[in-house]
Amino acid sequence: MLGNLVKAEFRKTTTTGLWWGLMIPTVLIALGWAMGTGFVGKNIMDAVGSSDAEELTRLLGIDPAQWQVALFGMARSINIATIFPMIFGGLAISNEINRKTITTTFLTAPNRVSALTAKLVVYLLWGAIYGLAIVAAVSIGIAITSDSSALPDATGWLALAGVGVLSSVLMTVFGVGVGALMTSPIGTTVVLVLYMLIIENGIQLVVSTQGLPELIGFLPNGSVNGLTGSVASSLFLSTAGVVPEELEEVLRAIAGALGAFDWWLSGLIFMVWTALFFLGGWAVTQRKDIT
Amino acid sequence: MHDGSGRIVVQNLTKQFGPVAAVQNLSFTVEPGSVTGFLGPNGAGKTTTLRMLLGLVTPTAGTGLINGRPFTQLGNPARVVGAVLEAQGFHPKRSARNHLRVYAAAIGVPDARADQVLDLVGLGAAGDRRVGGFSLGMKQRLALATALLGDPQVLVLDEPSNGLDPEGIAWLRTFLQSYARSGRTVLISSHLLAEVEQTVDQVVIISRGQTMYYGPLDNLRDQQQGRVLVQPSDAAALVAALQADGVTAIEQTPDGRIAVTGVEARQVADTALKAGVSIYGIQEEKADLEQLFFRLTNGQYTASGPNQYAGPQQPGSGYYAPPPGYQQGYQQPGYQSAPQGLPQPTGYQPQPGYQPGYQQQPGYQPQPGHQQGYQPQPGHQQGYHQQPNQPEQPGLAAQPEQPQLPAAPPPGYQDPPSGHQQGQGQGGLGGGA
Repeated sequence: MLGNLVKAEFRKTTTTGLWWGLMIPTVLIALGWAMGTGFVGKNIMDAVGSSDAEELTRLLGIDPAQWQVALFGMARSINIATIFPMIFGGLAISNEINRKTITTTFLTAPNRVSALTAKLVVYLLWGAIYGLAIVAAVSIGIAITSDSSALPDATGWLALAGVGVLSSVLMTVFGVGVGALMTSPIGTTVVLVLYMLIIENGIQLVVSTQGLPELIGFLPNGSVNGLTGSVASSLFLSTAGVVPEELEEVLRAIAGALGAFDWWLSGLIFMVWTALFFLGGWAVTQRKDIT
Repeated sequence: MHDGSGRIVVQNLTKQFGPVAAVQNLSFTVEPGSVTGFLGPNGAGKTTTLRMLLGLVTPTAGTGLINGRPFTQLGNPARVVGAVLEAQGFHPKRSARNHLRVYAAAIGVPDARADQVLDLVGLGAAGDRRVGGFSLGMKQRLALATALLGDPQVLVLDEPSNGLDPEGIAWLRTFLQSYARSGRTVLISSHLLAEVEQTVDQVVIISRGQTMYYGPLDNLRDQQQGRVLVQPSDAAALVAALQADGVTAIEQTPDGRIAVTGVEARQVADTALKAGVSIYGIQEEKADLEQLFFRLTNGQYTASGPNQYAGPQQPGSGYYAPPPGYQQGYQQPGYQSAPQGLPQPTGYQPQPGYQPGYQQQPGYQPQPGHQQGYQPQPGHQQGYHQQPNQPEQPGLAAQPEQPQLPAAPPPGYQDPPSGHQQGQGQGGLGGGA
């Protein structure tokens, strides 16, 4: 029975153009950001590795030749690109309510629990599809503009790809929850984008200037960024040799994981946010009068 | 899982949207094998009732059952009940065929079923077009096609004629009737009696969230008896002769004719012949069903509505619209003769339509001459609900609060004899006992 509903929900997503309409900017943004950050990273490395800077680096006791700076660009690019699967998720229920197709959805499902479970399954899947596309586009982009020495090894790449797909999945489901709570497609999109790109960055700025950067790791965007950012910075540190402790904070900030916890803790925190919004949206939809 | 009866049972359904009581204590039953019209003016609570029945809206109180089960316990509900609720439940960018395939997958029927129902509703050629480009009528057809995907036993349609052209309405009528004839249940709502009059066999009429009538449409028609307008040579002689025959619902019309209610023209003519009165003109005046519907559904004005109608016609007889005190009144000697004498073969008792709604009131039915019990007269209802000695009325559509109950008799009511009037207020109590 659930299989039928999953099939129906999946057909819903493939019979309109939304999935590829959002997939195009996802891939373009992922590719563009990866290429851009790769380019910036290459320039920095060229500067650091130049004979002028050699004396300085030797003085600091660091060896820039081992720095996989591409990791930071990859983490940043993944973070930005996951905005789109989040919007895709945000439209899952809000669009159905707006178009009133939710009526037929509930009329053809044994109950709302099964209808919403099917939706969850399908959007987990879509989150993974978007995540894979993002990781692929980011990998291609970063490889084009970075020196091969700046790229992570296979293990590092797999680790980053893993958390990249995971954050895309979580962002999608987070979006589904917010959309179910807001019930307006436009409102959901605006709120999600504004919050993730502007509002929380503002909060993060305030929090860090108040000397409480640890709080950032608890915020939705801060924790989801910590997922990829922490992996990137620990991968970097594990191969970079000696890095002065003061520089670690800076590196985490570059990776977009300032104040974030370890990747698994960040993942858990964002999972809690996702569960909070998703279950909240579920509860509201479960009891909603469809008029 | 469900009993497969195809029966819809609505029991004491109530829905409160904040301060607004959309549906109040609504009860009715829809049997398979017939098309039942669910009628009421806009805002009467039809859509809310149907949505509660379909599990889309949670009732404040009461239950709506299909095949003996609430919607959420039907298993695969679309196999049991199909619903056309609005012509808007489509994604504009999705093609009609894809729309149907989505829900075919959900129901678990093969994709070929999507094409079948498309052909069935006459959209076979438009299957690949996006629904956003459909006319309202086409959307209605597609909504019907969606409802039919699971080949359900019960079909519920909310204002399905909206947007349909005359041809589409005729087609829908034939379709629904044949659907019902195959032993299935069809419930169709409308705010226009005329729209469904030719389609439905049964009607449930609601107004302001309350049941006003339910039963066969024919009974409603029959109850709404016409009157005979006759122009005799000697009015007094004819009236005397008619009264001797037990016909009392007689009145003088302003143009000098005599209006006799509740008899056929032939009987009047026969009586006139026997009495040696010439008849210069005779005319049967049929009651207007639409007008009756209007009266039934014009909730707030039910107090004056029926009586205004009855008043000028046959003051005192209480025939068309038994006044509130009627039940008690008829028990009084002297008054009794009048209603009993009324020839009302189609009166209250053989009305199946009347019975399901009020069958739980044993004391109520056997009242002679009370064929109009369904009439939403406040006084009537009040008396009826006040009956304290009838706790055995489980399905009684009790209306605890009837703000529209008038303390004073409605206009046109002043005419009845005094004994009649005295009954008002406490009348129903006696009637039901």
